[in-house]
Amino acid sequence: RYVRQLQRLQLLFSPTAADARGARQFVEEAAQDFARQHPDVVLYVSPHKGPGPAPVLRAEYLNGTVREELIASKTSEEIVQLATKMANQSGLDIIRIRKPFHTDNPSIQGQWHPLTNKPSILTVQGPRLQPQ
Amino acid sequence: RAFWGGPSRKEDRVVEADQAAPEKEERSEPSLICPPPRSRSYFPPEDLQSCLESHVREVFGPSLPEDWQQTPLQENRLKHRLLARLAAELGHAVPNSQLHQMRRAGDVLGFYRTPVKDGSKIDELAAADLPPNLKIIWQQ
Repeated sequence: RYVRQLQRLQLLFSPTAADARGARQFVEEAAQDFARQHPDVVLYVSPHKGPGPAPVLRAEYLNGTVREELIASKTSEEIVQLATKMANQSGLDIIRIRKPFHTDNPSIQGQWHPLTNKPSILTVQGPRLQPQ
Repeated sequence: RAFWGGPSRKEDRVVEADQAAPEKEERSEPSLICPPPRSRSYFPPEDLQSCLESHVREVFGPSLPEDWQQTPLQENRLKHRLLARLAAELGHAVPNSQLHQMRRAGDVLGFYRTPVKDGSKIDELAAADLPPNLKIIWQQ
């Protein structure tokens, strides 16, 4: 069973700042739809009064990593895309993966890919859903 | 003279101010905190049309066209009288920026039909039905 790695999303913005306009529109229009489509993520909307820090979307994952993304001067659709991207990620750090092994000849008979040992018509017509 | 008179005057003023302040605080028993501003919310009552019609007939008297909604509000005195009475009765006044748009009684009726909501959108959102995983943290 799939377990979503995103635990909670915190939307910190100011109700009066100019660069938080997209965040406010997101809260008014798209936040409820997003919450319904992702029922296993808790979305906290916390506006803070008065001039404060820049609007930020904070994502906390099950392994403890906290990732903050600036949403200043972003439209509501962009914030929705950003939130879905963070919801589909895991909490692993986004850095270059370095492995302790190296080969000059990684494959002799050819690297396996999902279309090896399958009829070649699939490269043209693609996968078909099986009627149930 | 003025130099020597300065400090003594300031002391007198300070003493007078101190004496006046505790007297005021003792007189006004309710707290000195500024009260919250009155709410601008307005909801049109059900008998709005009949109420408006009676006021129009009262103010304009005999000179009325057949459809009372088409009475022109050209005369400033009658217009002011009508709008003042309506504001006093319904508790909701026409703002100055929209006075020029009130040309007929029908416009006034349309204005008083629109309800006015008090409070920001976040308050409305917090009060409305939310999915269980959406929490709004807003104190007011």
